[in-house]
Amino acid sequence: MRRIYVCHDDVTGLFSAIYDAWRERRESGDAGIALRGNIEQQLFCEYVETEEQEKKAVAVERLIKKHLGMEAYGKLYAAALSTDPVKGDAVLGTMLAARRLSDSHKIMDNLTNPSVEKVFELSRRVYNEAHFFKEFLRFKELTSGILFARIDPKSQVVTLIAPHFADRLPLENWVIYDRTHKVFAVHEARKQWALVSGVDVDESRMEDVSEGEQEMRRLWKGFCKTIAIEERKSSQRQRQNLPLWYRVNMTEFQETYS
Amino acid sequence: MQAIGEKMSMYEKLNILTDAAKYDVACTSSGVDRRGDGTGIGNCEKAGICHSFSADGRCISLLKILFTNECIYDCKYCVNRSSNDVVRTSFTPDEICRLTMEFYRRNYIEGLFLSSGILKSPDYTMELIYAALLKLRKEHRFQGYIHVKAIPGTSMELLQRIGYLADRMSVNLELPTRESLRLLAPHKSRKNILAPMRFVQNGRKENKQELMIYRHAPQFVPAGQSTQMIIGATPETDFQIMQVAETLYQKFDLKRVFYSAFVPVNEDKALPARTGEGPPLLREHRLYQADWLLRYYHFHVSELLNEENPNFNVLLDPKCNWAIQNLDVFPVEINKADYKLLLRVPGIGYTSASRIVKARRMGSVDFSDLKKMGVVLKRALYFITCKGRMMYPVRMEQDFILRNILGTERIPDSVRGMGYRQMSLFDDVRFTVRGEKNEKNICLS
Repeated sequence: MRRIYVCHDDVTGLFSAIYDAWRERRESGDAGIALRGNIEQQLFCEYVETEEQEKKAVAVERLIKKHLGMEAYGKLYAAALSTDPVKGDAVLGTMLAARRLSDSHKIMDNLTNPSVEKVFELSRRVYNEAHFFKEFLRFKELTSGILFARIDPKSQVVTLIAPHFADRLPLENWVIYDRTHKVFAVHEARKQWALVSGVDVDESRMEDVSEGEQEMRRLWKGFCKTIAIEERKSSQRQRQNLPLWYRVNMTEFQETYS
Repeated sequence: MQAIGEKMSMYEKLNILTDAAKYDVACTSSGVDRRGDGTGIGNCEKAGICHSFSADGRCISLLKILFTNECIYDCKYCVNRSSNDVVRTSFTPDEICRLTMEFYRRNYIEGLFLSSGILKSPDYTMELIYAALLKLRKEHRFQGYIHVKAIPGTSMELLQRIGYLADRMSVNLELPTRESLRLLAPHKSRKNILAPMRFVQNGRKENKQELMIYRHAPQFVPAGQSTQMIIGATPETDFQIMQVAETLYQKFDLKRVFYSAFVPVNEDKALPARTGEGPPLLREHRLYQADWLLRYYHFHVSELLNEENPNFNVLLDPKCNWAIQNLDVFPVEINKADYKLLLRVPGIGYTSASRIVKARRMGSVDFSDLKKMGVVLKRALYFITCKGRMMYPVRMEQDFILRNILGTERIPDSVRGMGYRQMSLFDDVRFTVRGEKNEKNICLS
């Protein structure tokens, strides 16, 4: 009977479920992965809870990196961050398909395979979203001098964008807050960044911005307004390049200073 | 009213010097990949990063400002020409550093784009720019992107020093031909513009040799050079413009040529009269499309345009236009055709072409797969076969395909009314279209 492994919607959970499925069902391939809170019950399946462990996730990560290569790992990892409920099946399906290839490293070129195609599509979507947040994320300087940014992403992109900012702003203390998934990327000056979750934060405390902050906001908003050429004005083109939902936390689109 | 000598606020200064810089097109931050070294601030991504989009839909990537809007030259098309009566001001190197650093750490910008009017002399101005960049790079340890405009007539020694601080340097060609330049920018000469371009080109070549021997040698203009020209202020045809662009790519190793639809800011008898139609955006768009074909699709200008047809088709993009005129090449078999031929099929871009080449090694590719790979089937279907079959029965006739493609394409309203009539001698080549819909983001590089 087809066995469905149920796990939490994060990378550790998903990879733990893949670990179990891989160990028990890799020969038959008769396995599925469902995300807790997002299960569509199917007939003729047994559902098992996955015991989620960090070490299982690490083992799966190593397995993929070793047999499918770094490039494929990047895509599978990104797919695992997406919002799509079938992402677990797609990742597992890709890994199973790779076993049948003589050179497993070429698995991501095999776009005519439905699972690979799905992973490809999901990873592209997630990478695009991550790229947009590298672009459109805005820091504000709090009275303590900490740079604080809030984002409302659809996918769990924080782990993809934090390394970019760690490299870019190594001497700053900064925090990126993913409001959708309630996780923080925290970076202390001259140190590695870390992922923090399960902490409750009083968001009103994040409104105490420094004095210089107000000044810079005013200058930036002025700049954005002046740089546009009146004769070429096109809000449609602007929306095409910068969809409205990204603008929620962007300084230049906020009406009032907070 | 501002009294002379009274101190201007930062906000006003930024406003004036941004307003004066906004007609410069290049906003890209691409072409260089650099990790931060951990001692300062900033890095660069190869693909470039746009941080916002202004109300005209153009991307904001760099803090695009002039160092000063004072100018000794009197170029007819420029807001800052010496004969215009506008408020003049200048930044100090410290102000530029502060703005750049503060904007950068808030992730507003990707770096600095510094251009300038000419104060006293080209060398004097560039020396000030050099001071600002040196401070930014050395004192503030800024490792983000810097694009600097080289003023024609600057000494080569000074350009050399600046080239080691900047990522990209550009000299504006301003206008496509020598004659137009003489007419509209009497103080600039073609020779003076091409000299620094050649200098940067040679400097980059030498620098590459150095870098091969000494891996950590300082890099000279690592992101290459670009240029821009104004379209529609002078009577050049698209063919002439594209020939100039092709020459620049081939002979000067330019990374980008930018085209700027002429926006009238001055009244002058040498300039075209204001028409109330807005800048020629569709023409600019077609030029960018053709520019892409030159750089990524192995096309030559002579294939796209010629003396008999010196301007681009208003209704069709240049690639589609080429395909319809060369139907003998098509249909192309997706599972067999080589990469370069795939690139010539309308609806297939260079990314999807390379995906096709990879995927067909694993098994044959069908129409449903193409769709998932990002091929625009509604354009491609007239020109391709999969496993020997076309998607629908198609008559390989120019008229048939043209009718069908135009039926599916969104054409700007003002163009739609024109029908298929032949362009006559009296038609204005500076066609303009309001609210152009198909325009892509031109800031990609």
